[in-house]
Amino acid sequence: MLDGLSQVLERYMDLLSSRQKLVASNIANADTPGYKTKDIDFQSEFRSALHGIAPAPIEIGGLKVRNDGNNVSMDREARLLAENGMRFNLASNLLRSRIQAVRAALQPGGNT
Amino acid sequence: MSLFSAMAVSASGLAAQRTRAELLVENLANAETTRTPEGGPYRRKDAVFASQPMAPSFSSLLESHLQEGVAVQEISVDMRDPERRYLPGHPDAGPDGYVAFPRINPAEDMVDLLGASRGFEANVAAVSSVKDMIMRSIDLFK
Repeated sequence: MLDGLSQVLERYMDLLSSRQKLVASNIANADTPGYKTKDIDFQSEFRSALHGIAPAPIEIGGLKVRNDGNNVSMDREARLLAENGMRFNLASNLLRSRIQAVRAALQPGGNT
Repeated sequence: MSLFSAMAVSASGLAAQRTRAELLVENLANAETTRTPEGGPYRRKDAVFASQPMAPSFSSLLESHLQEGVAVQEISVDMRDPERRYLPGHPDAGPDGYVAFPRINPAEDMVDLLGASRGFEANVAAVSSVKDMIMRSIDLFK
């Protein structure tokens, strides 16, 4: 009933929640010795997510490693946390408007 | 819904940071304690964190293990020699007049306590962001 764009939005939101899980892990492990920041390559994972392939986490290089071997950057994680939340917000608003369009078509003579 | 497991990860972070804060507060409270049930002065304690895969819930059995939580792996006890202060009048003074005090630097504990508090706040921010995403998903029904 919903069109192709809605399917893409659904995958996008799925991938955003996977990424948010990784951000939550990174924040939870911000003081764990030896823990390395994990993330997903969003662009390429989004392309493969359209074919139903589950995302694979990778370790992010180029971050400053502290004395205990941990390289979680709280600034980076805070930015990603906010960014993912806003992207999800945008996608869910778009998807909701698609759903409301279908609903409106289903209403008999109504203008809701 | 996979987002709920993100909340579980943040909850493990909250629990770990709280345990750490409790130990640090205990250290501060016992900075001058010369008697313990084990005998001798109090010894400084600190939490050692280790990442651990989250216990598989029903829904996540189908998914790859993306996320890792955190847990207090062990509580390390400072085994350095106690600090000796010359206090001959003290009831715990040895025959030479020296009393063994815990080797605790309140500044060190205060700094670690700030770190634990900030870590806790970061996890709270993660929980509230994930909660927002879940609420957005539920709003799709409206």
